[in-house]
Amino acid sequence: MEKEKLETLLIDYIDGKLNDAERYDVEQLLVANQDAFKTYEQLKEVIQAMQASAKMEPTPRLKRGFEQMLREEEIGLKKGRVVFFQPSLFRVAAAVAFVVLGGAIAFIIARQNQQSRELKQTLMAMLENQQSASQRVLGATVAYNDIVKADDEIVNALVNAMNEDPNTNVRMAALEALGKFHNQPHVRKALVAALNTQKDPMVQIALIRLMVEMKEKDITKELERISTDEETLQAVKDEAQAGILRLS
Amino acid sequence: MTDEWIMEAVKRGELQQASLLFERYNKRIFNFLARMTMDRELAEDLTQNVFLRIIKYRSSYKEGARFQSWIYQVARNVFSDHYQANKNRFSDFVDVEKVSDYMEDIRESETLDEREKLLHRSLARLGDEQRELLILTRFQQMKYEEVAQIMNTTVANIKVKVHRAIAKLREHYFELEKI
Repeated sequence: MEKEKLETLLIDYIDGKLNDAERYDVEQLLVANQDAFKTYEQLKEVIQAMQASAKMEPTPRLKRGFEQMLREEEIGLKKGRVVFFQPSLFRVAAAVAFVVLGGAIAFIIARQNQQSRELKQTLMAMLENQQSASQRVLGATVAYNDIVKADDEIVNALVNAMNEDPNTNVRMAALEALGKFHNQPHVRKALVAALNTQKDPMVQIALIRLMVEMKEKDITKELERISTDEETLQAVKDEAQAGILRLS
Repeated sequence: MTDEWIMEAVKRGELQQASLLFERYNKRIFNFLARMTMDRELAEDLTQNVFLRIIKYRSSYKEGARFQSWIYQVARNVFSDHYQANKNRFSDFVDVEKVSDYMEDIRESETLDEREKLLHRSLARLGDEQRELLILTRFQQMKYEEVAQIMNTTVANIKVKVHRAIAKLREHYFELEKI
């Protein structure tokens, strides 16, 4: 029998893993074959020696070391948690967040202010451009399209353009821009006052229509004056009369 | 409480539960490593390293996995890493003939009988893999199925290798006996 096959068979025999028939065959072999018996005896000795080998005991140092390691790990775990939940860290995080947020808001406001200043400067320059009526119209259009809330300076520039500009288109554009800001009290006053001073029929008619839409009842007396004023164009008088009826 | 249940608790952060696993396994792991390294003091250091890894890498423990297989896999890695890091496997520098004297310390004041000394010297002559297989299956009486799981191989493969290792051990044992 091949050496390795014999050894495997003998090891299984020693381990008690053979069935009755296999065990019988092995025992017959051991009786008949001296070498096989010797191998069996030797295998049995080493297998029993391994099974009988005493268990080793670690020194107390191992347990002490483990307990110390465990304590350190537990402390590390707690510290790990503290890092995330410590109030002071929250405060620092909040402070940093506020600084960053504050900086961002300040930046946005500053940027908007800067943009707002630049826009205002542009439209004021346009409105005051005496050389070009189209630039002044454009200035009024910019005010209408891009300005959310007009300050006194812009309102005054627009009122001035509406009342004084030699070009009808500029005066109309200025009126239209002012109409957008009619909810601002000083704009309202300026519009009411303009009704008294305005001599351009087209602007007068647009102004009357705007004031009627605004349901500005304070203009009723002014409308009555216009409707009876001999120097005023009939079309303006008619508009004033219609306005009186609508406001009454 | 099963080992697996305890390990799940450790994984959740209940580190104190690791003490129970230490009580259950420290001697077995120490014995495994002491026989692998033939160095008791080193084996204690490595055993502690095994438990350190169990705790540190607790999140890598897969739910439902057999804990015993896992801890032995960790122990094998610790052993392997140690010698790879030091590049000084004991067989390279320890006088194999003196291994049994060194291991004698393991028995504290007791003296190993000649038979066991011979066994240790024979065991030291085996390669790591064969020695490891005999330590697990014969010294620690682990079933082939469990060893196959630890080594990620088949039961049949383990059986063949264990039988060859026993046969090889027999050769060394009776050669040394003649000396």
